Amino acid sequence: MPLLKIEKLNKIFPNGYHALKDVSFEVDKGDFLVIIGLSGSGKSTLLRCINRLYEPTSGRVLFLGEDLTKLSGLKLRAMRAKIAMIFQQFNLIPRLSVLHNVLSGALNKKSVLDGLFYRYTPEQKKVALEKIELVGLSHRTYQRADKLSGGQQQRVAIARALMQEPLLLLADEPVSSLDPATSHSIMKYLEQINKELGVTVICNLHFLDLVRRYASRVIALKDGQIIFEGYPRDITDEWFKKIYGEDAIEVKTT
Amino acid sequence: MNKRLNIIKAFCIDTGIWVYIVFTVNIVLNKISGISHQKTYYEDMPSYLVQGLLIATILFFIKGCSLGKDILKTTLPQSQAYYKRPSTYIMCMVFLLTILSGWYISEFSLNDLFSMDGLEKATRLFSSLFSPNFKVLPKAVSEAIETIYMAFMATFVAIPISFLLSFFAAKNLMSQTISQKIVYNVVRFILNYTRSVEPLIWAIIFIVWVGIGPFAGTLALMLHSVASLTKLYSEQIENMDDGPYEAIKATGAHPILGIWYGVVPQIIIPFLSFTIYRWDINVRMATIIGLVGGGGIGELIIQYTGLSMWNEVGMIIIVLAAIVWSMDYLSSIIRQALK
Ligand SMILES: Nc1ncnc2c1ncn2[C@@H]1O[C@H](COP(=O)(O)OP(=O)(O)OP(=O)(O)O)[C@@H](O)[C@H]1O
Ligand SMILES: [Mg+2]
Repeated sequence: MPLLKIEKLNKIFPNGYHALKDVSFEVDKGDFLVIIGLSGSGKSTLLRCINRLYEPTSGRVLFLGEDLTKLSGLKLRAMRAKIAMIFQQFNLIPRLSVLHNVLSGALNKKSVLDGLFYRYTPEQKKVALEKIELVGLSHRTYQRADKLSGGQQQRVAIARALMQEPLLLLADEPVSSLDPATSHSIMKYLEQINKELGVTVICNLHFLDLVRRYASRVIALKDGQIIFEGYPRDITDEWFKKIYGEDAIEVKTT
Repeated sequence: MNKRLNIIKAFCIDTGIWVYIVFTVNIVLNKISGISHQKTYYEDMPSYLVQGLLIATILFFIKGCSLGKDILKTTLPQSQAYYKRPSTYIMCMVFLLTILSGWYISEFSLNDLFSMDGLEKATRLFSSLFSPNFKVLPKAVSEAIETIYMAFMATFVAIPISFLLSFFAAKNLMSQTISQKIVYNVVRFILNYTRSVEPLIWAIIFIVWVGIGPFAGTLALMLHSVASLTKLYSEQIENMDDGPYEAIKATGAHPILGIWYGVVPQIIIPFLSFTIYRWDINVRMATIIGLVGGGGIGELIIQYTGLSMWNEVGMIIIVLAAIVWSMDYLSSIIRQALK
């Protein structure tokens, strides 16, 4: 059984825009699936429909055999706990320290009251410190997260995601606001999480050389439809032009 | 279809403008000729309407004389420079007529302002004001303390209420389901209504309700503070970055924790600084509310002005100035520290 199975997923926004059209694919455990496509092709929408930050209009999202689109309340939250997400804009909590940002990844295991008073178990603190060490930010543990550099903030976000002990990690353009060198360092962390911790990754990317370097499988979206599905080496010049348009030229993040 | 609608709209605009011009011209003419000193604006409206409609109809068909067409751009772009167009002159005329008729309606009178009699009275009054009677200082200070605490209580009680309400009055949090939208609109309506009634009026209402004194004033201030703080708070929530909230939601945390972690840290500083600013405003408003019997130093002012005891009023004004100055200073220091 695949870890995640998307069946005929459609998303129509309230303004009538049809952003995803009958999208179907499967993700196996341990995959590093990269989604590519022009800006506006629906990559973010797709990721957000998986963990229901957006409500899919129709179709099924089967995760561990259960249809996420049918869940609500406690059950939905229990499933979300197993799916971590990182964002282009990092989305850390301003004014909180690195430690508390990472700890917030464990909020799904907290009662409302414990959460309101920032009460975490010693065990959880220990795990959080481990995750912070894993992304190499131990010397920043007690600093405010919003004062860190972009690359460091994304590492905090990764540590927060790991705090969830997720089975699946959704990464929406995790490196789009970072410089090339930092991009590679972040991608290496994602690779490490994928290979060593066995977390399945679905990642939106813009740069093809990153795709070729890190992806185990690739899906290309165009106008909300899947037009390519295969391995990174299969993306020929011909496919490249189909995905990005006739006039497109490939740029590299050195 | 759309074009026809636009032409109708243009005609309505023209009519509105010409009715207004006829109205102001009439006011100015009446004043100059000294015919009428009575306020019969409403009764005269039908005649203005007919005249305005007539002029608008005639000018509507003369090229370049229709403001409505210009505003809605139903005609082709004009080659004429804007300062050569008749419509520009019409706009200038409207502006001038508004100033002129405003001058007459508000009974502006340099004669009254600079009459010998008036100046003499004013001199006497000011010299009394500037030689304050220090005997009333203890009384003034006691009443001032009452005013400050009224403002404090009103703000303090308003904070938690506004804090809770602001989440229900924030569009971005309340647009998912129909019931959320209903709650949002009801809360907004009540708040707007409450806010549009001046605290002075609320004070009068509460004086009838709970009797003359500081409690009535405090209640009035509180109500008004809740309404305006909630509006400020909820606007802050609407302008926040959704990212952190979504991030916490995506971890599978309870929605309340989503708000506590994803929303509150972003808004807490602006909230505090609005609140301090509000306290500042409340101190000033508490003074005014005292004038109608809502307690505090305002009550003293109304007593002494009623008895024309200007030296005593002078003393109170000094106390008030001291309060306002120190509130300004305090609140700016606190807000600076919060940054
Ligand atoms: N909330 C929304 N309401 C209406 N339309 C939306 C909304 N969000 C996204 N869209 C539209 O859906 C389409 C897909 O958007 P999406 O953000 O998924 O693209 P993307 O592939 O992630 O692009 P990018 O690479 O720029 O992030 C776009 O045309 C966008 O305008
Ligand atoms: Mg996107």
